[in-house]
Amino acid sequence: MEHGDVNVVYSVEHQLPLVMYIGQYFFFTGLSAGSFVISVIATLLGRKEFKPVGKITALLAPALLIIAPLNLILDLEQPLRFWHLFLYYNWASPITYGSFLLTAYPVMGIIYAVMVYTNRQKAAKILGVMGIPLAVSVHGYTGFILALAKARALWNTAAMPTIFLVSAMVSGIGLVVIVAAVRWKWFDKEADEEQKATDKKVILQLSQIMAYVIMLDLFLILSDILVLLTAHADAFEAGMLLLTGNFAFLFVGVEIILGSFIPMLLVLGPKSRKSLTAAVIASILVNIGVYAMRFVMVIGGQTTPLS
Amino acid sequence: MPEKKRYAMVIDIRRCIACHACTVACKAEMAVPLEVNATWLKIVEKGAFPDTRRFWLPRLCNNCTDAICARNCPTKATYKREDGIVMVDQHRCIGCKYCIASCPYDVRYINPLKNIVQKCYFCSHRVDAGLVPACVETCPTRAMVFGDKNDSKSEVAQLLASNATVVIKKEMQTDPQVFYISADETAMSNIEEEINYYTEGSLAKFRF
Ligand code: SF4
Ligand code: SF4
Repeated sequence: MEHGDVNVVYSVEHQLPLVMYIGQYFFFTGLSAGSFVISVIATLLGRKEFKPVGKITALLAPALLIIAPLNLILDLEQPLRFWHLFLYYNWASPITYGSFLLTAYPVMGIIYAVMVYTNRQKAAKILGVMGIPLAVSVHGYTGFILALAKARALWNTAAMPTIFLVSAMVSGIGLVVIVAAVRWKWFDKEADEEQKATDKKVILQLSQIMAYVIMLDLFLILSDILVLLTAHADAFEAGMLLLTGNFAFLFVGVEIILGSFIPMLLVLGPKSRKSLTAAVIASILVNIGVYAMRFVMVIGGQTTPLS
Repeated sequence: MPEKKRYAMVIDIRRCIACHACTVACKAEMAVPLEVNATWLKIVEKGAFPDTRRFWLPRLCNNCTDAICARNCPTKATYKREDGIVMVDQHRCIGCKYCIASCPYDVRYINPLKNIVQKCYFCSHRVDAGLVPACVETCPTRAMVFGDKNDSKSEVAQLLASNATVVIKKEMQTDPQVFYISADETAMSNIEEEINYYTEGSLAKFRF
């Protein structure tokens, strides 16, 4: 839109409301939801070679979800009043359903982990299946937090919750690959040669699944950006902010190239696909990329002025 | 039975002389700390020298009928009164700032002294005492008019009935209750400042 020469001589802009605590919280819940889903899949498949992965992730999921809400409480201006969330709930607000989900999910996760570690397969399977919708909503609702804050064009899209879910899967798988590889290398002394070989194969398979989820993620981001660029003026600004504006380096450089394309090449490339090191490097890059994505979304979404 | 009260404000910019008295009155009445504002005057300059002109727009919370801030507040600290004024309960607010993120008008702020969220409440305490808001009281040209728009005899209702009025960002579906007469479109829009905002000076506002 052409306005000719316009200068804003004076106006008031207030401080950005949501800061990186929120982005970090999104990052941690994402990791947690991602690892939980993998753990349940491993448990359901029930194959022996998936056992170690299933166990690691069962532990990671609740652990990460205990760290995550700390970010939220630290972000409050009145941290000691956090219990108001439960006493004075408002069902119209995504934060309210979030606070109940965030309480239920770690409890569920801990019980599930106990079942997995005590080898009660049946109970673990049932709990796992019941837990998946919970894990999905615990992370999906974070997308709604952004999408339902209608003031910000970058957030207010229907794609937001799905983008958050899919990128959570990406970073979750990445984390599992890293942890499983570390365990394989240094902490798994008893296993024999054969066991080692199958474990490695499973980790590599996991990293390849990650590459396919990245493709889905890229598709969602592409559709989001395309629609932003063709929608109303604010949405266009938001899209350009990511493509050529101040967040272009983080978005295009870190999130897309470093965090998506390079890892994809690493784990699918004909040579590097057999290397555990490549898979680990790819997973680290993926997590850097997803962290950058959280930053771009949370902070970038607020930087286009409102008035 | 008379209809419910619905407080609204009409700002006639043809009368406004950009004296900032409303800003000062608001600061004093509501004890608004430095760095933040519940009411202010946005001023834009259009055209290239020598053909330039300034346009301005008094800004405050619209006390929206469909207030997205109230819908999104997880603790109902932000709530709507019967008469339409949108309030923040300062003992209940946890400072999650989701309301600030949701409001399309950038009129909410964190009170740096009290660590809670505040905004303009149409001076509800004065209204309850039968007075008009401090800004309206102060305005030397009577550009700001406040009253019950459901009462057809009120000045607000009559101004609304006899003038072309606009609200800011109607497309946001919040049903703002601050109406402007003769407002300039660029002063009401956010197009100009656009992307460089992030690098120019606002890093100070960004807290890790
Ligand atoms: S202008 Fe913003 S803060 Fe005021 S009532 Fe509307 S949405 Fe809420
Ligand atoms: S900051 Fe306070 S008023 Fe705003 S949404 Fe949170 S609890 Fe409600």
